[in-house]
Amino acid sequence: MWAYFKFEFIQFISNRKNIAIYVILLFFWCYYALIIAPVYNPIEKVDESEIEARYLTRAEFLDNVVLTDGSHALTRFAAAIYPEWNDYDKARLDAIEHGKMEDYAEATAKWYAYADQMIFKSGRGVLFYNPGYYTYGNNYATMDGHYAYSYSASRFEGYAEAKSDLSINVFEERTALQTLQRLLDSYLPIILMISCILFTVDIVLKDRRNPTLVQGLPISDWRKMLVKGGVSLLGCILTIIPLSVGLLIIGSQNGFGDFALPVPIYSAGENLFTNVMMGEYLIQNMLFTIFWFLFIISLLLLVSVMMKNEFVNLLAGCVFIFAEFIYFKRGMGAFGNVQWYPTNYVQVGQVISGYRNYLYATESLTLGNGLTVMGLCTSIFLLITFLISNRRKFRLL
Amino acid sequence: MIELKNIGVQFSGRDILKDVSVIFNSGEIIGLVAPNGTGKSTLMNVIMNYLNPNSGKVIVNQELEYTNKKSEVKIHQLVSMMPDQSDLYNQISGREHLKIYCLMWNSDPKLIEDTINELGMASYISKNTGTYSLGMRQRLCFAMQIVSDTQVMLMDEVMNGLDPTHVELISQILVKKKSEGKTVIVASHLLDNLEKYADRIFFMKNGELQLVNVISPGFEERSITTVRVKEMPDTVKEKFSNAFSKTNVRSLPNGATLLDVSGYESGTVGSVAEFLKENDITEFSFGKVTLNDLYSLYYQE
Repeated sequence: MWAYFKFEFIQFISNRKNIAIYVILLFFWCYYALIIAPVYNPIEKVDESEIEARYLTRAEFLDNVVLTDGSHALTRFAAAIYPEWNDYDKARLDAIEHGKMEDYAEATAKWYAYADQMIFKSGRGVLFYNPGYYTYGNNYATMDGHYAYSYSASRFEGYAEAKSDLSINVFEERTALQTLQRLLDSYLPIILMISCILFTVDIVLKDRRNPTLVQGLPISDWRKMLVKGGVSLLGCILTIIPLSVGLLIIGSQNGFGDFALPVPIYSAGENLFTNVMMGEYLIQNMLFTIFWFLFIISLLLLVSVMMKNEFVNLLAGCVFIFAEFIYFKRGMGAFGNVQWYPTNYVQVGQVISGYRNYLYATESLTLGNGLTVMGLCTSIFLLITFLISNRRKFRLL
Repeated sequence: MIELKNIGVQFSGRDILKDVSVIFNSGEIIGLVAPNGTGKSTLMNVIMNYLNPNSGKVIVNQELEYTNKKSEVKIHQLVSMMPDQSDLYNQISGREHLKIYCLMWNSDPKLIEDTINELGMASYISKNTGTYSLGMRQRLCFAMQIVSDTQVMLMDEVMNGLDPTHVELISQILVKKKSEGKTVIVASHLLDNLEKYADRIFFMKNGELQLVNVISPGFEERSITTVRVKEMPDTVKEKFSNAFSKTNVRSLPNGATLLDVSGYESGTVGSVAEFLKENDITEFSFGKVTLNDLYSLYYQE
């Protein structure tokens, strides 16, 4: 079996299509690191002038406001909430001025927690989150702002408590590891899964180009497919290499961050977020992504032995990855058992960070449920493949 | 040893193999001869189980049959088929191909270097096979099967694209494998070569295997059985038939004529020669019927 693994692996790494995928990924990640990442403009950034402008405006208001019985309710409301809010802004400005990052993190955590409480609970329709959330067509801007402010509060609290080296780049999540975290929360899982599909789509059927060379090898079709799946999995894991090049470039520009940096995880409770360490978050993502690779590989092995058509393989893989875009509606988790659909777990990073739960209005899209569903599906695909490939008259090619 | 028992294969209602039963023994070189499209490759595919026969079974070493996937693997450890040169991986080297086959069959790694040297492949074996000529590819395919070192070796058109030197070289290796107790089954159109080295030769026609000895009794005997006349006019043939009424006269599509003198005393054979000389026929030879002649006779019918 080891000999066949080597044989398949040699074919895999010398396959022009696979080489092209690695080259495209390398080009893409370099482009991302050199062109896209540097212009990343987070909504929640460290903007001294913005803080100062807000602080001075509110300070002037507080200095000049005279509250009488005839004062408008909103004037009273502003006069009541601005002092504490401004204290946090003042502390943030002082921390920036003196370069005290921990103080900044602590004050900012309090600022976000307080701001969220004021806007979401007390000031609905009067106070607003950062204008960055109020974009055209976004009907959930307030909810997005609430999520982002709670997330930031938890994150900055984590910075204040942890012993990581803090910097503006860390606060704005620009370091290499934080960029990876952001990518895992956006389109990185889909890129990895598409790569997996492209690697696996022909791993069985390519042998039709060399039938006399491989048909008579003294290894069963089932074992051949297991080895092919293993090679494909290894190939998928190797996509880490071009990704690492991009992260190295980002790291050399913005710092690498460290594995103790906090990553807020959403859960629908009193405290919306709890922090886990970056290392733990990345390991969970890696584990989940590997389960996804196994799911896709076993699915494509099954479709390969049933349909014997590469295009059908491609289609089957893509259906699972993109199906969620067709039926997804925000809040739909409240009405159905969304945890049983493997397609709901495509956004690996968002599932682990809890954002998917937030969007679905559920608590059931968890890492544990995801691993169970993906593991079950993979086992079923492999079992059917095993049964088919062990039929006496079955031909792999 | 490999036994085919009542093998029948039909495509679209047409019999490609019809109730074929034969035993190929260890230490034998078997020649399969037939025009293209008459079932040689089908027979090999059945032996390898690449094709399920409509009836019959293949038995290896009197115990193994293609009853399940496990036994298929066991049989493939003992029986191999030479790959087709068009199936080589162009982007990897010949040596890698040999290593893969050696590893897959868990054979002696020493065989790799020995085979490379025997077949004179050292100068190009490390290059990608995409750069190989037809002959180089064919030698590599042959080398791959030698390296697999299985008990039964099936070779379809093994001599294709080879120059006479390499045909001879490969023939010598086949003889060596035979002496090691291997069963070598060769389908080839190089009939002279096959005649020289094969222990048994089968013709295939209408889905049946016919042993050459059955078609032409005494084919393997080393005695004068035939006078081969390059060109013999019809008038001379007629005269000859009158003079030697008991002698069988057969004409081949290439214009040659075979005079069957098997069992004749030397004096009678001398008379035949004298007759030919008297009738101004000088290009003739004594010997036995060749495989080429038999092939022409058998497939022109």
